[in-house]
Amino acid sequence: MKKLLRFSLALALTAAVFAPAAAGSAPACAAEASGAPHAALVVGTGGSTTTYCVALDASSVSGIHLIQLARTQFGLQYRLGFGGQAVCQLAGVGPTGGDCFGDYPDFWGYWHGDGHGAWSWAGSGAASASISDGDMEGWTWGSGDSATTHAHPPALAFEDVCEDIAPSPTPTQAPTHGGGGDGDGEPGGDGRDSVGASDTNPGGTNAGDAATSSSNEGDRDGDGGGNRDDRSSSPAADEPTKVTTATPITAFAAGLSDDPTDEGGPPIGALLAVIGVAALGAGGWFLRRRQLGTGGD
Amino acid sequence: MHPAAWLVWATCAGMVTFTTTDPFYLALVVAVSWFVYAAQRIPGETSRSFRVFAIAGLLTMVVRTTLVFFGTVDASSVAFAALEGARLATLLVVFGTFNAVTDPFGVVRLAPRRFHEPALAAALALSIAPRTVSMVGRVREAQRLRGLQTSRWRTLPTLALPVLETGMEEAVTLAESMDSRGHGRGRRSRYRPARWTAGAVAMTVCALVAAGVFLVAAFTEQGGLHPSTFPLSWPEADPVLLLTIGLLAVPGFLPHQRPPTEDPR
Repeated sequence: MKKLLRFSLALALTAAVFAPAAAGSAPACAAEASGAPHAALVVGTGGSTTTYCVALDASSVSGIHLIQLARTQFGLQYRLGFGGQAVCQLAGVGPTGGDCFGDYPDFWGYWHGDGHGAWSWAGSGAASASISDGDMEGWTWGSGDSATTHAHPPALAFEDVCEDIAPSPTPTQAPTHGGGGDGDGEPGGDGRDSVGASDTNPGGTNAGDAATSSSNEGDRDGDGGGNRDDRSSSPAADEPTKVTTATPITAFAAGLSDDPTDEGGPPIGALLAVIGVAALGAGGWFLRRRQLGTGGD
Repeated sequence: MHPAAWLVWATCAGMVTFTTTDPFYLALVVAVSWFVYAAQRIPGETSRSFRVFAIAGLLTMVVRTTLVFFGTVDASSVAFAALEGARLATLLVVFGTFNAVTDPFGVVRLAPRRFHEPALAAALALSIAPRTVSMVGRVREAQRLRGLQTSRWRTLPTLALPVLETGMEEAVTLAESMDSRGHGRGRRSRYRPARWTAGAVAMTVCALVAAGVFLVAAFTEQGGLHPSTFPLSWPEADPVLLLTIGLLAVPGFLPHQRPPTEDPR
């Protein structure tokens, strides 16, 4: 029995030591070279696409947590539903209630990228997905219940999103289409966060949620409907989509944008609840004591 | 007090609990239950069920929260699981109160003759936990008198076997005695029928209003019945809904129900 225990302990330790090494696949090594693990998040609201190179706070996180990290690092607005298991809103687009299919047939489609521009329809929910260093995640707003009918995210490689931590830039890759889904691959090029020149950069304005959602809504109002119709018939990758790379917001701005939600709870209701609980509790206690005093059981 | 009034009260309190995961509302429902229990409990063994169900509720909450630690752990998912657990715990407390303030077999008698047997089964199922607990206490005492240790895990069989055996025996005895007295067969006894007093009517109406308000709030998504845990935010409480929960405390202000002078069983 003891031997078995010791063996399993040794096995567990071995697994714990070697698992991260085994998990570090080809693109992961690239990111490890620059330190912290990163995952690429691509959000297509129908009108515009924004990419986020999200730094992970653990070796593997859930799809939901990746969005939460994108909020703290880039100010990506989001709302979850179905008890936090599903994504209702991203970048201000989506139903406002707790029912994430409130705008059906339009909903947020969830994709896993292979890191080289191909996307596969996610078979399970984001809460149960496990995202590690070098992974790509895509969210697209639109109709269609399968990989063939729902709008694809644009064909972006991991390096297009996280160019700073790409192993060796390959400038040979020329833009293949009009607006340019991918960049020119120059390392540390500051001028390439916004590829579509006329596009307003949502993340760049350090104001957090409001700026992000409002600019995206503007995009959606402008060309959302037409684009979406086109997409349902042809793969999205062929289209000139505006791809914006979000720039990180500073910690100070992130803190500011979090504040309103914290102050949202006016203490009147809470105070009333506490008083009510205290009053009823004391009343019950008094009644019980009186009963015990008079000899009742 | 009329058992049906208690049935309505418990159902409505359960419905209010079911529609929300807001800790303020849940805490108030628990407080209301405690107050009602303290004011209206029927002295005797079944009144112990409040404590039993409260402890079971606490355990449920702990287990529900602990399960999270097998998955991805962050503050949000822990809070979500804890609130879900709190809702279950509150439901259990409401049921504990119901068991403590009314005789479950009084509720059985309310059922139409056709549904007497299912109602009996339901009443037995509802009262099985408190009965088992009191039985465990009795068996432990008996074993201790015999000089047997009952406090360690090793000695669990000496405790569990008699409890199970007694439970079976008691169920069979109960069924036999009910059968021999013609329960569910003949006409119902009209001896000292429960009366609908003004108080019982008032508490029924108030409970229905409370449940109705919460159902409406749940369907129109108002009042912050489910505080957001992703992202984690401080829960809010609507004063109107809090006052509505207060309506459930009405039975606590009614004069204490007279304990039955003889056991109806």
